[in-house]
Parts: sequence; structure tokens; C-alpha cells
Amino acid sequence: MKLLIKTEFKRNLRSWFLWSSIIIGLTILEITLFPAFKDSISNLIDMMSTFPDSFLELFGLNQGGLDLTTAYGWFGMEGYLFMLLIGGSYAGILGSGILSKEEDDKTIEFLLSKPISRNQVLLGKAIVVLINITLLNVILFGIMSFIFASITDYEFVTTLFICIGPFLLEIMFAAIAMFIGVFMTKSRSVMSTSLGLVMGLYFVEIIATVTNKLDFLKYFSPYEYVNAVSVVKDHSIKPLYLLIMLGVMLISAVGTWFFYNRKDISV
Amino acid sequence: MIQIDQLTKYYGKHARGILDLTLEVKKGEIFGFIGPNGAGKSTTVRTLLNFIFPTSGNATVMGLDILKDTVEIRKHVGYIPAEVNYYDDMTVKEFLSYSTHFYSDDADERMAYLVEKLEVELDKKVGDLSFGNKKKVAIVVAFVIEPDIYILDEPTSGLDPLMQSIFFELLEQEKKRGATIFFSSHVLSDVQRICDRVGIIKEGRLIKIETIDQILKTKAKNVRIVSDDLKLKNNGNIVNLKKNDNVTTFTYKGDMNKLLASLQGANIIDVSIVEPTLEEIFMHYYAKGDETNEVVD
Repeated sequence: MKLLIKTEFKRNLRSWFLWSSIIIGLTILEITLFPAFKDSISNLIDMMSTFPDSFLELFGLNQGGLDLTTAYGWFGMEGYLFMLLIGGSYAGILGSGILSKEEDDKTIEFLLSKPISRNQVLLGKAIVVLINITLLNVILFGIMSFIFASITDYEFVTTLFICIGPFLLEIMFAAIAMFIGVFMTKSRSVMSTSLGLVMGLYFVEIIATVTNKLDFLKYFSPYEYVNAVSVVKDHSIKPLYLLIMLGVMLISAVGTWFFYNRKDISV
Repeated sequence: MIQIDQLTKYYGKHARGILDLTLEVKKGEIFGFIGPNGAGKSTTVRTLLNFIFPTSGNATVMGLDILKDTVEIRKHVGYIPAEVNYYDDMTVKEFLSYSTHFYSDDADERMAYLVEKLEVELDKKVGDLSFGNKKKVAIVVAFVIEPDIYILDEPTSGLDPLMQSIFFELLEQEKKRGATIFFSSHVLSDVQRICDRVGIIKEGRLIKIETIDQILKTKAKNVRIVSDDLKLKNNGNIVNLKKNDNVTTFTYKGDMNKLLASLQGANIIDVSIVEPTLEEIFMHYYAKGDETNEVVD
């Protein structure tokens, strides 16, 4: 299985590098923009006071929300959202392709003619997904720490939470995408379904935040689970949300295992 | 070595699977599994390797259950797929090393032998290979591990005649070593060339298992007579009769003495009596029962 993991990792390396570059590049850009904006931020805050509160809430800028005068608050308003959306998309695409590509390319017939069980195939591929996502976030944490430290007072816990939030979200999206990949074997279809989910759920987040009536929707929005205010400002993820996330991961994993071991693999 | 017992794969009313398939492949034999495309050959192979699950029935390979002991079975099976799909982005060399790493035995020498024998180009990308060249890589993949059982699905398709004979040579070597070979094909000359027994599959059902000798022997002879005044009485043993000027051809299923007796008195210019090819016999199994038994006089 070691070789399967190594080969699979190598196969996904280019995509990992591309996506990581985008996410890390944007993060660097966002943080380094802060010193330039710092002086005019009071104007921005004045202007925003004319916006409706529910709109501001979307960016975590409502009462009790992010403090835009700090580098972390500034990053939480926009950069963090990019991390969630782009990281989530990457995780969705990674999870989608890892199982379905092998069936789409019909190489699964080769793999399963070797002395290896379907569970080993699954486990190996899941490990590669985990490694890719973890590696991205560890590197991101390192670079972020370095840049925050160079422009402001470094806050270890805040930086850590800024990385843990997207990390959890990414693992969850990847797990769901892998599960979808068991049933849909055309890589493209799995990819669009997973991306649709990643974006669609953000839309749910917007609706849940902007309207007060549909408040229950926030339970269906993973972006709410790790929203900027709680993660960046309060350093916390609600236990209920954490439980939901872990639950979704577990159900996806068990579902993937259950159905992948029982499906006909006909290429 | 391979025991298939009432194996059924049902794909729904309109798709063809396999139905109630029962057969046994003995140790050390080459078993030909023939039928046209879509008869259920690949379905059988895929079920044996547990890519797909049977609807009912069961099968064992080397006494191991195809559902429970999948991994153990795969250790002992060399598989050549009908359509070769490997990782396009790998070079042949990388791919072959990936493939052999799944097995514990070191097979460098054997690999070098096969690569040379089959003239496999190691530095090319798998994706750049032609259909036939991919097939050659598939042969290396299956043969390099010197398995106890070969499961071959249309192994000769795409190979040029030279490579085909090298392939058959390798197969003979493996038979001598004691390997058991399950050879699925729609190319009858292949089967005729190398198999000990054949099972004929039609529309998902096994319709006959016989030795090659039996099939060829029990069946009729092809007769060709050149004569300007031939008069034949058909006693029901003459089929596929064709007459073109003074050349008469037909397949004769009855007692040879009677045929020869009936030729007495005619002015025979030339006569040949030969065994029909397996192709012709095979067509007999697939004929829809509308054979024309023309009466000649």
C-alpha cells in the first residue's frame, strides 16, 4: 500500500502545487495589503456604518464582530473567506478525482487485478487526500505566521485557528466528494457536483446570514461552523458545529467504505 | 483450479450477463472460452476477479472463494484484459515497476527476458502506445509474476502475427511449467491452436464443453468434388451444399463409406475430403436452426 500512496501522491502533486500556490499567494497578498489600508480603515468603517447590519454580518463586521483595525481582523473579513472557498473547492476536486478518475480512466481494472483489497485502495487514497490537505495547511500556517509576525504583533492561537477552520472544512468537503465519487464514475460529473456543493453551501450561508427568518439554515452551512468571527476573534468552534462536521465526515467515510466494497466496478 | 458453479450475473432484461454458468478448469490445462462479442466472456472473467459481484451462484479459484478470498486469488492470477487501460502519464518502465511491486517476489530477470522477447519499449509513455503495444505491456504484467493461473481475456487482439506466435510460445512454456490457463477469445484459430478443451458460450449460457479433438472429430468433413456428371442422393447427411459449374462442395455428416459408394460410376476429376475448421463448426453452434438441407439428384 506504501507504493500505492506514493504513486497516488505523485499523481496529485501538480494539482496540489497549483492550488496551494493560489491559496498561499492570495493569503500573502491579503495580509501584506493591510499596512497600506491601515490608515484609511477608519474611513471604511465610517462608510460601512451606513450598510444594513445583516449585510455587514456576512463579512463578520457587525457589532461584536471583527476588529478591522487589526491585521487579523482585516484578514478575517476577506482573506479568510477566500481560504474557505478556494480551499473548499480544492478539497472537493481532490476528493472527487481520487476514486472516480481511476474508474473514468478504466485503470481501476488494473489496480484491482493486483493483490490488493478494495479497502486498501480506499484507505491508501484517503491517506493521500489527508496528506495533501494537511500539507497545504501546515505550510500555510508557517508562511502566515511569518508574515503576520513581520507586520503586526504575532498571535499564535489566532493564526492556528485561522488554519484549523479551513482545514476542518476541507476535510469534510473532501470526504463528501469521495463519497459522491463512489456513485458517479465520470470524473467531470463528480467534480461539478462537488464544486456545486461547495459553492451552493456558501449560498446557503449568505441566505442564512442575511435573512433572519431562515436562521435554521445556518446548521446546513458549513461556512457558518467555522465563520470568521468565532474562529478569528473568539478562537472557538461551537461544540455542536464540531460534532456536525465530525459526524458528516464519519458518515461519508463509512458510506464510502460500505458502498465501495459492494459496488460492481465495470469499466 | 477454477470451479464455476451456476454462476449468474443479471444485468436487467435488456442487458446480457451470464446465466447459470457451470464449468471446471483442471490444473495444467488450457481452457478455451469462446463466444462472440457480448456473449458474456468478459462478464465471467470480471466476476472471477471480483470486479463485479455475481447475482447468484459461486465460484472458486484454487479452492479459494471469489468473494471472500479475493486478495489471495489475485496473488496467484496473471490477468490480461481485453482492453488495456493503464496509467497514461507513466512511462512503461515506471508502470511495470509499479505493477510488480504489488508482489513480494523479485522478478528482474524474468522482466528483462519478457521485455526483450516482446520488444517492449520501456521509455515511452503508456499513453503514447498503440493498442497492440499496450497489449504487449499487459502480457509482461501477467507473465512476469509466473502465476499459477492465467486469466486471459482476448489476449491476442491487437497483436501482429509475429507477436502472436511469440505469445503462444510463452504460453506453451507456462503450460509446461504447470500453469493453468483460462483463455477467453472469439478468435477460433487461437483456441484451436493451443487449447485442450473449449467451452462455448452463447448469450450468457454455456452451450457445450468439449476437447478440441472431440469437436473436430465428431463433426463432419468438408467435401469438394470436381465432376461433370455427378449425381448425389442426399440421405440427410449433406449440408451447406453449393454447386458451381462442375465443382460441388458440401459438408458431410454421415458414414463415409456410403458417400464413397454414391460416387461410384461418376466421372470424378478431383476430390478432396478435409476436416472443417473450428470456425465452421462454431458457426454450426451459432446457426439459428435454419440450416438448408437441399436435396440433390
